[in-house]
Amino acid sequence: MSTPVTSTDDSEAPAPVDEESLVRQARRGDLEAYDELVRRHQERIYATIYHMTSNHEDANDLAQESFIKAFQALKSFKGGSSFYTWLYRIAVNKTINFLKQRKNRIHMSLNDLDFNTEHNPDLVALISEKTPLREVNLAELQEKLNNALLKLSEPHRLVVVLHDVQGMPHDEIAKVMESNIGTVRSRLFYARQQLQALLSDYLQ
Amino acid sequence: MSENENNFEALRRLLALKRYETPPPGYFNSFSSHVLKQIRDGRSVESTGSLGNLFGQAPWLGKLLQVFNAKPVFASGFAGALCLLLFFGIVYAERPDLASQPLLEAATTTASFSALSPTALSPLPEQMGIVSSTNPVLSLQAVASTAVFGQQNPLAQPASFSIPGN
Repeated sequence: MSTPVTSTDDSEAPAPVDEESLVRQARRGDLEAYDELVRRHQERIYATIYHMTSNHEDANDLAQESFIKAFQALKSFKGGSSFYTWLYRIAVNKTINFLKQRKNRIHMSLNDLDFNTEHNPDLVALISEKTPLREVNLAELQEKLNNALLKLSEPHRLVVVLHDVQGMPHDEIAKVMESNIGTVRSRLFYARQQLQALLSDYLQ
Repeated sequence: MSENENNFEALRRLLALKRYETPPPGYFNSFSSHVLKQIRDGRSVESTGSLGNLFGQAPWLGKLLQVFNAKPVFASGFAGALCLLLFFGIVYAERPDLASQPLLEAATTTASFSALSPTALSPLPEQMGIVSSTNPVLSLQAVASTAVFGQQNPLAQPASFSIPGN
C-alpha cells in the first residue's frame, strides 16, 4: 500500500498544508480542505476495512461512510489525539459493528493481487519451495489466508491487520483500539498462534 | 518476545501477501469525490443505521415489527385498534354532555374554592388580629367554629350559612 501523501521535486508546487489547519478549515465547513484530508487517508482507511472484511464492496461502503461520519462529527473532535487516529477509530468501530451484524453471512469479494506479488521473493519461496502443496498458486494462497483471517475474532483480526499488514506500531494500535499496549501485544500473540495453526500447511 | 517474533517470521512473510491485494485501477481517483458528493447532497448514508439505533434503544419495537412482518394479520389488527381508539376519542370529544360534565364539575369546585380562598385560606388577618366589619368576619367565625366540631371540609360552609338579623 503506498503512502497517501507524496512530496514532489517541483519547487513551484505549493507547500503541503499541515493537517491541523486542514482540520480547522474542514470544521468550518470547507469541503476543499476535507477533500485533501480524504485523499491523504483514503488508501489506509480503505485497506484496513478491506483486510477486516475481505470484501471490496463492503470496504468501499464502509470507508465512504466513515469519512462522511467523520465530517459530520468534526465539531466534536477535540484534538486530544491526531486526526489520523481519530479517523481510524471511527472506521474501525464502524467496521466492527458491521461485522457483528453480518456475523453468519460472510462473503468474500477479494481484490486482485498486484502484479508485483510475483516478484516478492518470500512469497515466491512460499509457493515454490517450502509449501508441501507445490501446485498451490498465489490466488489460492490469498483465499486461504483470507479465510484464516476471517476465522479470528474481530479484535484479534484487527490487531494482525494493523500491525502485520499495515505496519502500525503497538502504541498507535492501542490508541486506535482505546486499550493498552499489553492488551495489543497479547492479542497479537494469540492471533498469530491461531493463524499459524490454521495455515500450518503453508508455513512448513 | 523476540523468540516469538522469530517463530512467527514465516507467518509474517505470508501475511505480506495481503499488501498486494489492491482495489481496481483508478478506484482512489474518484473516491474522495464520491464522499464529497454525498456530503454535499446531505444524503444520509446511515439512514438505516439511525433506525438500527432506534431499535437498539427500544428492542420491543424491533420485535413488534418482526411480528408484523411475519403475520400481517397482527399488523391489520393493530391498525384497526388504533383507528377505533382514534374514533372513540373524536366522538368523546365532540359529545357536549360527556365532554362538558367533568369541566362543569371542575368549574363548580373551583368557584366554591375561590369563594372561600380570600378568607379561609389566608390565616393572615386572624393571626394579625385585624377584624373587618363586613361579612368575611362572620364567615371566618363560622368556619372556625365548625372546624371545632370536626367538620373538616370548609368548602361546604358558605352554601349553608345565613347571616342572622339581616
